[in-house]
Amino acid sequence: MKIIVLVKYSMDVAEIRVDPATHSLRMNGVPRRFGDLDKGAVEAAVRLKEVGDVTVEVVCFGPSGALGAMKDLLAMGADVATVIEDPYDGAADATAVAQVIEAAVHKLAPFDLVVCGFASDDGYSHQIGPRLAERLDLPLVSYASEVSVDDGVLVADRDLEAGVQTVSIRLPAIVSVAEEAFVPRSVTLLQAMKAQKKPTNLWSLADLSMTREKLDEVITYSALGETGIVVNRQQNVLKGSDLAEMADGLIDWLINEQVLVAQNGA
Amino acid sequence: MPDVILVSSEHSVLALELLGQARRLAEEIDAKVGLCVSGAVGPTDLDSYAAHGADLVYTSGGVVLDACQWADLVSSAIAESQAGLVLIGATKTGMEVAARVAERTGASYAAWAVKIQIDAGFAATTASCQLYAGTGLATYRFSRALTVLSVAQGVFETDDQPGRTARVESLVLKEQSSRLTVIGERAKSSSGTRLQGARAIIDVGRGVKDHEDLDMVRALASLLDGQVSCSRPVSSDRDWFADWLGLSGVKVKPDLCLTIGISGAIQHVVGIRDSRVIASVNNDDNAAIFTQADIGVVADLNEFVPVLIERLRSRRVTVAWL
Repeated sequence: MKIIVLVKYSMDVAEIRVDPATHSLRMNGVPRRFGDLDKGAVEAAVRLKEVGDVTVEVVCFGPSGALGAMKDLLAMGADVATVIEDPYDGAADATAVAQVIEAAVHKLAPFDLVVCGFASDDGYSHQIGPRLAERLDLPLVSYASEVSVDDGVLVADRDLEAGVQTVSIRLPAIVSVAEEAFVPRSVTLLQAMKAQKKPTNLWSLADLSMTREKLDEVITYSALGETGIVVNRQQNVLKGSDLAEMADGLIDWLINEQVLVAQNGA
Repeated sequence: MPDVILVSSEHSVLALELLGQARRLAEEIDAKVGLCVSGAVGPTDLDSYAAHGADLVYTSGGVVLDACQWADLVSSAIAESQAGLVLIGATKTGMEVAARVAERTGASYAAWAVKIQIDAGFAATTASCQLYAGTGLATYRFSRALTVLSVAQGVFETDDQPGRTARVESLVLKEQSSRLTVIGERAKSSSGTRLQGARAIIDVGRGVKDHEDLDMVRALASLLDGQVSCSRPVSSDRDWFADWLGLSGVKVKPDLCLTIGISGAIQHVVGIRDSRVIASVNNDDNAAIFTQADIGVVADLNEFVPVLIERLRSRRVTVAWL
């Protein structure tokens, strides 16, 4: 069985700062990484590999620099890693990204299963799984928190708002994994060393018979601007060892802000 | 020329919030508002949809089972109505529906819209959308004749005016069973809390470790006329609450948001940052929440909350709105 895992080399959004004066986003120096959702997708695939005859290929539409970080995913148990160089530096309309991913998946066919996170850590727009399902006309098991495969049939738990739903589907299919469902394993030094020898590919759009110009045509919006959200909170802090004094301090402050009122002149 | 704004959400509260916003936008440009619904539409339902802003209610009559079938329904309503804008409630199911509809119809699509501008004919639709998990806002101009936007709960307000009327438009969908075979379902516990409209919210994070600690939190909430909610990890890992606050959950705007054991990740703060006052209790004085709060208390919550309850009681303090 072949599993293709889709990952994004995302920005660490917790490291994005907002300039308090200009409200602009400081994007310089924001680190990129494979976040827990992407590693969770790899983890889900590797768990299936542990109990079956499975090959795991990881694909990333991202900067060539992501190849180094792909070694971590190979160390987790993936067999092959491919980066498709992204001329949009992670900011492309998902309409275009879905077409690139579709072309990559076709190039890697035949496959039995595609696994991805339900959303990327930075864009968080939940699009690639459903768009790929539409383009490939494959069933999508979204928000999966548990996955098993037996005799060509996948059984999965889906973590939905109302509850957990268990579904089954005959492969091939696409699975998007839920948050925190597949905690990525830590890797040993030996696994990390072995990963250095595993095959990696660096493809360009041309390797998928695509061009930047053609992709530009499918983009459906233009960004007029970006601003950071500045929160002007008072940031008072009460510290100390006398809990009653701090509780009174908090109550007094809330009275002053007209959130609380003291009754009977107390 | 497109002249309909369509709304779709399987979440009944979100559907009404989106109807409210669609109605306001439609009145600016003299367009109609259509609502996609699952199953048969009874007279009481129709009156309620109309009062909340719908002119047209699209249904196939059949119960919609999954995101794929919702996408069938919405795509079919788009074709029938000549819609120029579709607002979809940003639940897990809704996010899948929105991406599927955009892919099928070739529409422009952006997620997490918080502000929308349209003009007659929908030639220059623009929207501000949350970016990087809510750290920023991006403004987009959409180039397709149809724009799809997903919108979280709590972003827009409902608009209930009894006496308005709507009519049902029946859609014929091609007969299709769900591709996924459902072999089991387990409902999550329902919290029964009403977060929208609550004047005070006690927001519980991972710092609250044991289920029995919720007793003191509830006692505090009742003193403050508040509802208890939580961050997403508390909801998903511990199954204490069905709803959570944050980017992927509910957004609230209470007078007071008191966070307890919340670390302050941006994905969570997005859900509470429109509160009038934010007060926070955390034992880590480097916690990010203290930069997002008006007042912070650095203390062990298990020690501090009982003392706070005692001081509120003995000082006979109450909330200003009672």
